[in-house]
Amino acid sequence: MIRGAAAVLLLLGAAPQETSDPKGMEFFEKRIRPLIADRCFTCHSAQAEKLKGGLLLDTREGVLKGGDQGPAIVPGNPEKSLLIKAVRWVDPDLQMPPKKRLDPEQVADLEAWVKMGAPDPRGGVAKPPPLKKPMGMSVEDGRKLWAYRLPVKSALPALRDAAWPSGDIDRFILAGLEAKGLKPAPAADRAVLARRLFYDLHGLPPSPEEVDAFVADASSDAVEKLVDRLLASPRFGERWGRHWLDVARFAESLTLRGFIMKDAWRYRDYVIASFNADVPFDRFVREQVAGDLMGDGTLEERRRRAVAVTFLVMGNTNLEEQDKKQLEMDVVDEQLETVCRGILAQTVTCARCHDHKFDPIPTRDYYALAGIFKNSRTLEHSNVSKWLEVPLPAEPEREAEAKKHDDRIAALQARIKAEKGKAPTLAETPAGKTKGALAVADVPGVVVDSAKAEKVGDWMQSTYSGVYIGDGYLHDKNEGKGEKSLTFHPELVAGRYEVRLAYSPGTSRSKEVPVTILSADGEKDVTVNEQENPPIEGRFVSLGQHRFENNQGYVIVSNEGTRGHVTADAMVFIPVEKLETAKSSAATAKATETAPVRELEAELKKLQESGAKRETVMAVREEKAIADLKIHHRGSVHTLGDPAPRGVLQVALHGEAPRMPAGQSGRKELADWLASRDNPLTARVFVNRAWHWLFGAGIVRTTDNFGTTGEKPSNPELLDHLAVRFVEDGWSVKKLVRTIVTSSVYRMASGVASEADPENRLLGRANRRRMDAEGIRDAMLVLSGRLKLEAGGPTFPASLSADYSYRHAGLERGVYVPVFRNALPELFEVFDFADTSVPTGRRESSTVAPQALYLMNNAFVLEQAGHAATRLLSESHKDDRARAARAYRLALGRLPTEGETALLLRHVSGAKDAKAAWGAVFHALIASVDFRYVN
Amino acid sequence: MCDKDRLTRRQLLRGAACGFGSLAFAGLAGASEDPLAPKRPHFAPRAKRVIFLFMQGGVSHVDSYDHKPRLEKDDGKMMSFDDARTVANTGAKNSSQRIMKSPWTFARHGRSGHWGSSLFPEINRQMDDLTFIHSMHTEGVAHGPATLFLHCGSTNLIRPSMGSWLVYGLGTENANLPGFVSIAPSSGNGGARNYGNAFLPPVYQGTGLGRAGGPASEATIRNLKGPDGSEERFDLLRELNGEQLRVRPGDSEYEAVVNSYELAWRMQKNAPDVLDLSKESKATLDLYGIGRKPTDDYGRQCLLARRLCESGVRFVQVTYGDNSANPAWDQHSNLPKHGDHARAVDRPVAGLLMDLKQRGLLEDTVVWWGGEFGRTPYAEKNGTGRDHNPGGFTVWLAGGGLKPGFAHGETDEFGHKAVSDRVHMHDLHATILHQLGLDHERLTYTYAGRPFRLTDVHGQVVREILA
Repeated sequence: MIRGAAAVLLLLGAAPQETSDPKGMEFFEKRIRPLIADRCFTCHSAQAEKLKGGLLLDTREGVLKGGDQGPAIVPGNPEKSLLIKAVRWVDPDLQMPPKKRLDPEQVADLEAWVKMGAPDPRGGVAKPPPLKKPMGMSVEDGRKLWAYRLPVKSALPALRDAAWPSGDIDRFILAGLEAKGLKPAPAADRAVLARRLFYDLHGLPPSPEEVDAFVADASSDAVEKLVDRLLASPRFGERWGRHWLDVARFAESLTLRGFIMKDAWRYRDYVIASFNADVPFDRFVREQVAGDLMGDGTLEERRRRAVAVTFLVMGNTNLEEQDKKQLEMDVVDEQLETVCRGILAQTVTCARCHDHKFDPIPTRDYYALAGIFKNSRTLEHSNVSKWLEVPLPAEPEREAEAKKHDDRIAALQARIKAEKGKAPTLAETPAGKTKGALAVADVPGVVVDSAKAEKVGDWMQSTYSGVYIGDGYLHDKNEGKGEKSLTFHPELVAGRYEVRLAYSPGTSRSKEVPVTILSADGEKDVTVNEQENPPIEGRFVSLGQHRFENNQGYVIVSNEGTRGHVTADAMVFIPVEKLETAKSSAATAKATETAPVRELEAELKKLQESGAKRETVMAVREEKAIADLKIHHRGSVHTLGDPAPRGVLQVALHGEAPRMPAGQSGRKELADWLASRDNPLTARVFVNRAWHWLFGAGIVRTTDNFGTTGEKPSNPELLDHLAVRFVEDGWSVKKLVRTIVTSSVYRMASGVASEADPENRLLGRANRRRMDAEGIRDAMLVLSGRLKLEAGGPTFPASLSADYSYRHAGLERGVYVPVFRNALPELFEVFDFADTSVPTGRRESSTVAPQALYLMNNAFVLEQAGHAATRLLSESHKDDRARAARAYRLALGRLPTEGETALLLRHVSGAKDAKAAWGAVFHALIASVDFRYVN
Repeated sequence: MCDKDRLTRRQLLRGAACGFGSLAFAGLAGASEDPLAPKRPHFAPRAKRVIFLFMQGGVSHVDSYDHKPRLEKDDGKMMSFDDARTVANTGAKNSSQRIMKSPWTFARHGRSGHWGSSLFPEINRQMDDLTFIHSMHTEGVAHGPATLFLHCGSTNLIRPSMGSWLVYGLGTENANLPGFVSIAPSSGNGGARNYGNAFLPPVYQGTGLGRAGGPASEATIRNLKGPDGSEERFDLLRELNGEQLRVRPGDSEYEAVVNSYELAWRMQKNAPDVLDLSKESKATLDLYGIGRKPTDDYGRQCLLARRLCESGVRFVQVTYGDNSANPAWDQHSNLPKHGDHARAVDRPVAGLLMDLKQRGLLEDTVVWWGGEFGRTPYAEKNGTGRDHNPGGFTVWLAGGGLKPGFAHGETDEFGHKAVSDRVHMHDLHATILHQLGLDHERLTYTYAGRPFRLTDVHGQVVREILA
């Protein structure tokens, strides 16, 4: 049959048919051509407004070649022809024409036509309609764009004012200003500069004493000294680490079911430690993309690298997606988005469905990159898939000990299994040994007796075996297979339970009874061999431990596909914390389970509880079989096209393309390419981010998009200069920051915008910036004296099972507040914390009423104001005027004006309750405009 | 109404010419255009607002509005179906399933004579105001993906919620309230993402009031209640800010902050009134079943929805659900439990329809009732409940320029798959946007280098149901 069809195809392909089949041709002209022209061409021809499914029906070639889903017809075989299937409307997912189906006669005509071999005189080349907008930009053209050329150092510009610049940055900026006839603003006041430096480098306000010391330092390198001190403090890593955590869309839970990512904090601490240790940025990139593939190293290095890869795993993924192919490609897409936007500022995910419409990124590049990540496994699949966790490398002794411990457990488990195999089956059990009927009340845990189960189909109650709970057990009479089920509905308080099925065993029983447990974690199917003796107390078999919500969840025993009797006696749910004491009664505890098994199980339990817990980390793992991906037409996992060999972005490739290994994903090669000096984007993108974090606006303001839809650099020479120098300085972030913040540009005062440069793109002055959410929070805690500086490690209870309604009560710095996607601190929500699901290089800075409501009324704010008042009143100050001065310095980093002092004095003088009065003062200061701005 | 276009923000602030209701709830960023100011739609709208009554977990269409006599006839028979979950998991089609008839009885109602089961007796009385779509289909077999698809048009990718799109497209009518409110939102199955702004500016984020399954009394705006001596504290703050502003005359950023406080202060004074149901008449409370079990909570939430809509809120969602992985209507087993949920929502929903109608609000409000998917016509695992069914289900709409007493589309004879005039969730989104005067293909936002839409590259307005 297939061979026949192929032969026809060959024939068809060989020559026009006008002469060969006049009758067929006539049929086509009369019945088929008008039909398809009328009903199909709107979407499937060169005239189509929008071509659908890649299918062209206006040429013979188009019909035979077909669209995304393959050939439209198999000549001679209507049953195998997609077109026929579509017009028959039998598959709800493929119904053509979509709005109104063809008449039965029309369908019959098409069938007849295909059957006769689809005679079709039409020649011509199948040509898709011209796209309304030309797609994208060629890779060739793209290579000419600024972002894809390697950065080069330009000559320093000639300047009129040679005195102002203190370094190269200043020269480039001043050149821009002078070109517009502008002058730089004067230097900022020392106290203002101190507050700015502390905020930018530490994210905390300086104490009045620190400001005084800086103001009083008359040495010429006072700024440099302060900067070096700030860079050397662990607070620097906390501040700059948090910037990177925005880019890495760091979070510690998933919105889906509020799952806690219990080890994500390790990544946070890794990032903070990296900035503190000034880990070269190229290495930092390599570790995050391919740390697990970087080979040997010291234990510390291996641990760092293992943790770094968490970068790839934190996506806010919908693990419950049932189409796992789709889920895997969504995960890959998310990883690509994070890597490419975070490190390269490229929007490659646009090319998932078609060539990028604006940037020189063809779909092939997308699947070349996607292939790299597809060959690294991120999830283990089940109904609700789960991210991978692997043991964190440990000291050799600990590792050996853990290994020994694991081996012992494995050995014991093997012995238990062997012993159980020896346990006598019921048939062999001497009669009377398993003692009899047990009342429901005597069984610990939540018991659903078979009498209470919801029955579907005809079940027979029996007490024949003499061993049962309640009134007897049920069996399916070994009849009506696939028509019967029992559903056990327990009334449960939320928690973890071990589920146990009590059944009546025997040689006539089914060996594969399907049982489904629906718990809070989804559906789980298990099978029970009812020929075997129940291992627990001779009555029960464990169906595993499951998490249940209040009165939700159930267990179904079915007889589908079974041979032999299916029996069920009861379903028991035992809270895991009560497992130890859960024994039915002294009499039955002896039951059929042999003593050695019980002893061994007790030993196993003890062993499992003892021994140091292995530290784990979120990870990816190389797939065993490595393969390139095929291009997915329109992004669909179900319509595959040509293979796309793994590779990197062509447009940004300088020099030779990385060779993708046959036995590895290629992540390491990708990482090396990302972190190479031949990559035109990586260094540029990062120095631009740093600039944004320090000035409030990047040289390219679209920090995450260096493509054609992004902005062009306001000062390309400066950007290139910084990028080249960054690489020359060994990718040192601290050197980069030091260079920038000691420049004259950074030290300028903020002020009113000049009309010639209203957006301050040329940086004729400093930008005044609103503090971010953590900055506002930490400043409040500094003011109240309650901030806890020691930190790191997990900052939520280990027992937490979901993030819903989590109450944040910690007093650690904002960077250590658990980032729960369903439960961010309210302050973070209202003050534009970075979206925890997408890479964010640039936070919003909104001014909205909910912020005002928060600062006016939230208990946290009132509490900090109260503490600040207590603190102020416990210090010795001469009078309220001195207190007012102190309050302003603590809260706003400056002295009050005369007017402000008068205001405060009016408010506090004669107040009956000094603490309340000063509390109100601090509350107002926190809420005041100056508190949240850095000048 | 006041002509907002002719007044500057500052004039409004000073004169408070329109009283409560003239300035943006949010978005006073400097001198730039207020992102929440009312915007001109693409074409003349038929409705101004949306109330979405979300039946979380997937209410069964074959037990409520999609009458299928074959279920009665073939009850208990094993038949072959392409079960959506089985297909998604394994690709296998044609699995054997046991047909299960509905425990509820069906009858025709109203002049339209549309079928409705005894599950929702009160809503059945409003049958002639409803517009049914029986041929819904959507994406996502599990709650998480399907719920996100319902709200954001994507099963997994981070996308803005429909309410955020609407406020982005149209702005809000009452600047002192959020434009998009989600009453009793569920924290499960996507949680806050379901009313999140994703990449749209944060001002378009939905405001959650209360939590799913929680008492109606929790449904309130946060931080509305001030500490003791609020008045004095606010005076002090106002004076301090005045001093700070004096140093920077004409600074628009500082002014914006100061304005945000004035606004917050007015909200604190006025919003509680909108949220306060105590002044409603006894007749109204009765209409919604307030003060009685089991309708009290959902009744209060529906009444709150009406009050918010009356005050100019653009999109109000009222979730009947909970925070669990198997929310409310998710009767995988024990289908009769649908009855408990129906008793809790039937009266409140019917009451809301009547109330909107008698106040003349129904004509420019789109009411949307439905879940994230429907349920299978066969018993799941041969048990006593029904599994998820994204391939065919029913939603109904009311008001807002839709054909009343009308039904569109069909499922197959078992109610398993939508077969004629199929309406995809993207199509429903496109249609609702259309009723509000927005072309779903033109309502775009450029992010990460390309324009995005609620309907991605899909969606067609279902013109057949438009009045």
